[in-house]
Formats: sequence, C-alpha cells, structure tokens
Amino acid sequence: MIIIAPYAQKLRTEKQNPKNYPYWETLVEMIDEPIVQVGVEGEKQLVPDFRKNLPISELRKLLHECKTWIGVDSFFQHLAWDEKVPGIVIWGPSDPLIWGHPENINLLKDRSCLVANQFIWWEATEHRNDRFVKPKEILEHLRK
Amino acid sequence: MSKVLCSVATRGRYFTTLPLVLNAIINQTKPVDKLVIFDDNDEPQDMRKELIYSYFFQMLDAKKIEWEWRFAPRKGQHHIHQQANTAGYEWVWRVDDDAIPEPNVLETLYSYALTNVGAVGGSVLTPPYMPDTSEVSGKIDNIDSEPNIQWGAIEKVKQVEHLHCTFLYRAGVYDYNLGLSRVAHREETLFTYGLHRKNYQILVVPNAVTWHMKNPQGGIRSETKKEMYEHDEQIFRNFLQYRDKTIVVLNCGLGDHIVFSHVLPSIPSAEVFSCYPQVIPGRPIIEAINLFGDLDHWNIYKKMDQWKWKGDLESAYRNMYL
Repeated sequence: MIIIAPYAQKLRTEKQNPKNYPYWETLVEMIDEPIVQVGVEGEKQLVPDFRKNLPISELRKLLHECKTWIGVDSFFQHLAWDEKVPGIVIWGPSDPLIWGHPENINLLKDRSCLVANQFIWWEATEHRNDRFVKPKEILEHLRK
Repeated sequence: MSKVLCSVATRGRYFTTLPLVLNAIINQTKPVDKLVIFDDNDEPQDMRKELIYSYFFQMLDAKKIEWEWRFAPRKGQHHIHQQANTAGYEWVWRVDDDAIPEPNVLETLYSYALTNVGAVGGSVLTPPYMPDTSEVSGKIDNIDSEPNIQWGAIEKVKQVEHLHCTFLYRAGVYDYNLGLSRVAHREETLFTYGLHRKNYQILVVPNAVTWHMKNPQGGIRSETKKEMYEHDEQIFRNFLQYRDKTIVVLNCGLGDHIVFSHVLPSIPSAEVFSCYPQVIPGRPIIEAINLFGDLDHWNIYKKMDQWKWKGDLESAYRNMYL
C-alpha cells in the first residue's frame, strides 16, 4: 500500500497553494498498487480510499503500514520524517534544502523553480504547473 | 571595520535640542557611516528649508557622511529603533533628540565593540540630578532598588544587564518589542536585557558622557496616557517573571511543530506556548500575546528571512533557542 498526501494546507485567500502538485490524477492512474489518500475534509478525492481528518496518532500508525508514501511540502513529510519512514516529496516553489529532509527522495524539477524569498507567506506566490516534475519521473523513483 | 549607523528619533524638537544633537553627532571624533533622522512629528516639516538644518546637511555632505531624513510611522520610537536595528548595519548608535553626546562618545563606545559585546553605553547625565552610581550593579534584579548606572559618572568599565537612553548596540541580534504602546516605556531596558539574555556582554564605560537635557517639550515619549505606561510596565514585569525560563512560542504550522519537537529536549527550562498542543504541549498563543506583547521575537520565518537562512528548519530553531 502507498500513502499519498496530495495537498498542502489550504490558503486563507482560497487561492491554490503553490506547493500543490498539479498532476496527481495522472500519477495516481499510473500507480499499480493500492493507494490510501490522507488529508482533510474539502480536499479533492483522488482514490476510493480517502481517509479524512485522521488524528496524528492514526497517521503515525498508518505510516508504518505502507510500502512508501508520496507527498508535497506539507506537514506530512515532517511527520513521516519524525516516524523515520522515508518517502517521496514533490517540490515546486519551496526549497527542499530548507524545508525538507535528506532522508526522503526530494524531487525538485530545477532550483530555478524556487521562489527567491522562501520565508514569505505562500499566498504571495502564484501556482505554476511548470514548476513540477512530470508523473513519469516520480514513477521511476517509486519503482526503484 | 564594521559600519555604524546613527539613528535619532525625534518629535517636537525641531528648534530646541535636536540641532544641538545633530551638531554633536556631526562633530564626533569617529564619524558615523550613516545618520538617519526618524521624524516622528505629527506635522512633519521639510527641514531643508531651514537655514540651520541646511548647514548641517552641508557639513554632512562635506564630511562624506551619508544621511537620510526619514518620516516615521508615528507608532512610537520602538518601531523606529527596530527599523534601524534591521537596516543591515553591524552596529547602531542610538541617540535621543535631547541627549547631546560629547565629541569622543562614539569613538569610546566603539573601542569596546568587540566580538562578544552586545551593547555599550556611557554616562547619561542630567544635571543637577547626578547620583553616585559607583556601587550600582546594573543587574535587572535590582532595577527597582538602585538608580540607573548611567545616571552618574562612570569611572570604570562594568558589565551590566541593561542600559537606557543612548548606547551603541550590535544590530540584528535581538528585536525591539513592537507590542509596547506608543510611549514605548522600558523599550531600551527590554532590548538591552534581551541582548544580555543572548549571552552578549552589556557594558558601561568611562569617558563617554552624553548630556541628557530632558527637554520638557516634545520628545518621542510625549504621550501622557497612564494606561500606556501601565501596559508597557506589565509586559516588562512579565519578561522579568520568566527570566529564568526560555520562552518558546510556536506560532507556526503543524509541520514546524513536528520539526521543533527534535529541538525541545535541548532547551533548558522551556516555557512553551504552542498552536498544536497535541504535538508540543504548551499554553495557548493568546497567553503569550497577553504576556509579552509582541511575538516577532519568536517568529521563525521572520528570523530565517532576517538571517538570510540557507540551512534547514531544525537548525534554524536551534539557532533561535540554543
């Protein structure tokens, strides 16, 4: 089983969080394994098994049941690091050297995709699809 | 050599003590690298039109001292000092608009500005009140029981825990408390004590006399509202109450709390305020706001930005708290 944690925290402005990966639907179709999606109420459901609003203790347990996990720059990557369960983090405008953990596979398309100021509110950054790697590249890492 | 910014916050003293102060700054034996006058007047004027000020500006230009007249936000001098504090200079010499330094003051203060020093002050004399402060400790615990050490003649170098009025300080290390009211009562005590808590030495030194004329008109603290003083005094007392603790304020995201959980065990006597008590047990953030006024001291994102941080988040927290 693979866990996906597809979305970063919703912004107060209702704009799409620029850290959200734009190609989840395609990626999910390409994965030939049972997938559990974790997240909160209101997020788009990508797979049949969507476990919403799990307490942190449940998420910690779930992490130890999965083969691996895929997420974005959200609290989930920190939780998995805390549980010592490495996974794949898909990066866009935020810098994995600052916000990530080297224990994970950190997929950043290019450092030119990072925003110059990493410490501003993310509301100030536009979401751009071209900041992210394509699903095929993620799949290659998943199969390793 | 490190660069020194001189900041003067002024209000209501265009034609009384401010010209004396500017003249004294211009004629320092060690010139400042830049002078910024923060004009906090309710009705600011264009002082380039005033003859005496045009002389000052000519002298500054002739001496190749960069200067700037900046209109301040009228929120109190702590906001002004914080602008100077974060202006990118290693040292800031703050001078009140009614405190007239003798010509050697900056040179003397700067000679003590060594690696482990956070702030240096000299005597700040207000005749006829000039108490004997030779036995004064300058410790925060004695703030209610002894006069300020800078009020008297300083005969020898002494390490203290707080300064007042005018001094040279290491910039960008500790923030002014922007939660204080417009009167900014105790702002410099809180600021220098914060530098002391960061393990920097706070020094008073001889041969650096400033004459603090306490002009009864104008001044950056010309507000008289008692409630403002009481509000600020309470914040000051709260900081004192927690002085044996390391105050930890996690006004940040859930993931940040998780990362911080790896740092917390290394922090001695932590008093924690937390957004996610299920990850880091602690008191509600609103209590921290009520106690300490302003939480920017503990804003990890602001600090990382200020530090131009390139490392990871855990290291940033360690830098902040350890």
